[in-house]
Amino acid sequence: MDVSHDTLVALAKSWGLFYLIAFAVAVVIYAYRPANRARFNAAKKDILEQDDRPWR
Amino acid sequence: MVAQLTSSERQYCAVILILMVIVGVAMAALGKSDPLGVHGVIVIVYSGVLLYLVLSAFYGPEPQEDRQASYYDDPIKVGIALSMAWAVFGMFMGVWVASQLAWPNLAFDAAWSTFGRLRPTHTTGVIFGFGGNALIATSFHVVQRTSRARLAGQISPWFVLFGFNLFCLLAVSGYLIGVTQSKEYAEAEWYADLWLVIVWVVYFILYIRTLARRKEPHIYVANWYYLAFILVVAILHIVNNLAIPVSWGHAKSYTIWAGVQDAMVQWWYGHNAVAFFLTSGFLGMLYYYLPVRAGRPIFSYRLSILSFWGITFFYIWVGSHHLHYTALPHWVQNLGMTFSVMLLVPSWASAGNALLTLNGAWHKVRDDATLRFMFVAAVFYGLATFEGSFLAIRPVNSLSHYTDWTIGHVHAGALGWVALITFGSLYTLVPALWKRPAMYSATLVEVHFWLALAGTLIYVFAMWNSGIIQGLMWRTYTEDGTLTYSFVDTLVAMYPYYIARAFGGLLFLLGAIVACYNIWMTARGAPAAAVVGDGPAQSGVAPAPAE
Amino acid sequence: MPELFHRKLERTAIGLVLAIIAAASVGGIVEIAPLFTIHQTVEDAPDMRVYTPLELAGRNIYEREGCYACHSQMIRTLRDDVERYGPYSLAVESKYDHPMLWGSKRTGPDLARVGGKYSDFWQVAHLTNPRSVVPESNMPAYAFLERTPLEMDDLGQHLAVLRELGVPYTDDMIANAARDAYGQATPDSDFATGVVKRYGEATDVSAFDGVTTEVTEMDALVAYLQVLGRLTDAASREQAAGAPQVGGNGG
Repeated sequence: MDVSHDTLVALAKSWGLFYLIAFAVAVVIYAYRPANRARFNAAKKDILEQDDRPWR
Repeated sequence: MVAQLTSSERQYCAVILILMVIVGVAMAALGKSDPLGVHGVIVIVYSGVLLYLVLSAFYGPEPQEDRQASYYDDPIKVGIALSMAWAVFGMFMGVWVASQLAWPNLAFDAAWSTFGRLRPTHTTGVIFGFGGNALIATSFHVVQRTSRARLAGQISPWFVLFGFNLFCLLAVSGYLIGVTQSKEYAEAEWYADLWLVIVWVVYFILYIRTLARRKEPHIYVANWYYLAFILVVAILHIVNNLAIPVSWGHAKSYTIWAGVQDAMVQWWYGHNAVAFFLTSGFLGMLYYYLPVRAGRPIFSYRLSILSFWGITFFYIWVGSHHLHYTALPHWVQNLGMTFSVMLLVPSWASAGNALLTLNGAWHKVRDDATLRFMFVAAVFYGLATFEGSFLAIRPVNSLSHYTDWTIGHVHAGALGWVALITFGSLYTLVPALWKRPAMYSATLVEVHFWLALAGTLIYVFAMWNSGIIQGLMWRTYTEDGTLTYSFVDTLVAMYPYYIARAFGGLLFLLGAIVACYNIWMTARGAPAAAVVGDGPAQSGVAPAPAE
Repeated sequence: MPELFHRKLERTAIGLVLAIIAAASVGGIVEIAPLFTIHQTVEDAPDMRVYTPLELAGRNIYEREGCYACHSQMIRTLRDDVERYGPYSLAVESKYDHPMLWGSKRTGPDLARVGGKYSDFWQVAHLTNPRSVVPESNMPAYAFLERTPLEMDDLGQHLAVLRELGVPYTDDMIANAARDAYGQATPDSDFATGVVKRYGEATDVSAFDGVTTEVTEMDALVAYLQVLGRLTDAASREQAAGAPQVGGNGG
């Protein structure tokens, strides 16, 4: 396979950016999905509940 | 330690340790007079001592209680002890090498004590010894508490802990006898690297199996950071350390990477060691111990998720900012610069999230030195990440690179952020772990805080000054267009700052020694509160790292 | 049913693992992969020679002693770098370097082109006690190098491994590695001629530390220092022809 340096550089410069945007969108959707709100609120409060036994 | 294991688990331990002794014998036999042989002997002694510990308790009574009904805290306790022992060792080495730069004859005409050999013992001692053990110990604690489940293994936590410390020991002893790959922050040679891969795979499996046992549906975000630390460090470690040994009997190997590729791989590794060893894992600490200590939930959970992905995504690109104006292609330098600047957003989101969590609890920050450790750590995290993005800008880097400014930046992060968040977390963790109402002495925590803060500030200001002065002197021209200062002129200007820096480091070291004493006294104090099942391990607060 | 529930939880954890890998691997791949085709764009240096066994041994000592912690070997494309240290470094100049020693800190000066800048005598005196020649220096003394005989027997194995990694050592070079190391530091011996034959006329054959009865680590390290920047003259050739000064090169 003969991949030229310029091809690789062009790929790196373009697809890296698209990937970044797609990834960012996915993360924002995950973080702000209303369905996740209850779960996140529970998670942030639960760690303050200090018990010293694993749950069975 | 051994009392909590069943007799079949004790047999497994013995088998693993005997295999390690055999590996040590093989290394000694193949290496002979090569440093590999010396390391073979170290492996034999290390595994032999552990084997002795296992065998001497081999026929003791088996654990009677239901182990699944309690968290597995013994490995955490030993991990904290090892972490503090490495902290004192690594910081002492730091003060010594810093003093050598001011007074070069402190090497005493020996080979092992020259700056070049001691410097990696400092970096490995503090990053991997102190930081690594603290990460392993706190990750074991956080994953159990946030999952409401016991660690998914009886032997594997010990294997991870002692295996990792064997790696650190091989690395540090190797530098002293001249074993190094000369890759910064990855100096350990091929056999130690292979060993670390095994240890790390076990660590990953243990962590993911414990998560799978969790009783909470959601995985708390601190675990994400620890998981990213475990995973990405594995990738970085394997790729950067690909090498071919000269022979099976040689400690020396040659990396498969050459020249410009090697430079890029090395700094892709080097900067992401900062990202995933020194940031991600310690953010895991921050996101658990800060809310717990403050008694308040994290300001914004969503923000912590966004910044998690931001940090995980952006960091990996920025390594090339270590190679500005070098023979690395221009576009790679620019990518590194761009992402370094963008990285400021998730970094400040994390720092801001931490500080806003404290908003409304400032009286606690004022009164409680432990919480103040974490507060100052978050501030330094914000400062150091801003400085990092700033230094990654090409024209700024042209001044700062190769100077002490870089060293100052690293220590703003390492002392101000990494060490302070660790101490804050340990002061929160230690009383809880040993079932004490509080640390042995709140005054000593206070003393430690001021020693650490003063040490950090002196250090960082000294290096800012020396770095900027030297950078400017290097590029100063006379009216005739010739360079004004010879290199030696610029070195002479550094001496006062080198002395100040060594003093700042000394204060920081003294603080760590105070912490050791305080943790030791907390662990052995007030025995009435102790719970069933804590073996003799809890008395072993400060064993030598060689244990 | 609890079985299924349990598996679903595990899926969450594994999904997280995969997402972390997906997020963290792209940057590295994008930046590193194109560097493997970089030879298509960077300078070529057909005249470039490989390190002799003695120089390689010296390079290993340079690594062992951690010299790279205080000395860079990378002259940047900045005016003051070039005027202080010489033509800026090219990628091709470290193409045989496993690993590269570009460094990250200049507690001491850059050494990329230190070869030939000082006499062997000066180098030995400086390494033995830096403050005897540069009173202000804070470099450690390396007097022990002169006291340590050089391990030469296994140098052939070192060359063979490097050849596997793509450094063009010949069978002849590998077979004669130990003899060449001895010969390069012992100019009046029969082995000296072989070094020049295999590595070229420009090879520095010298009693580096001034003592020919024994080859020490001092010989090896000085031989290495004296060849730094002199494996090829591609940099001075290219930059004399008027390549751009500030702004990097290649790609």
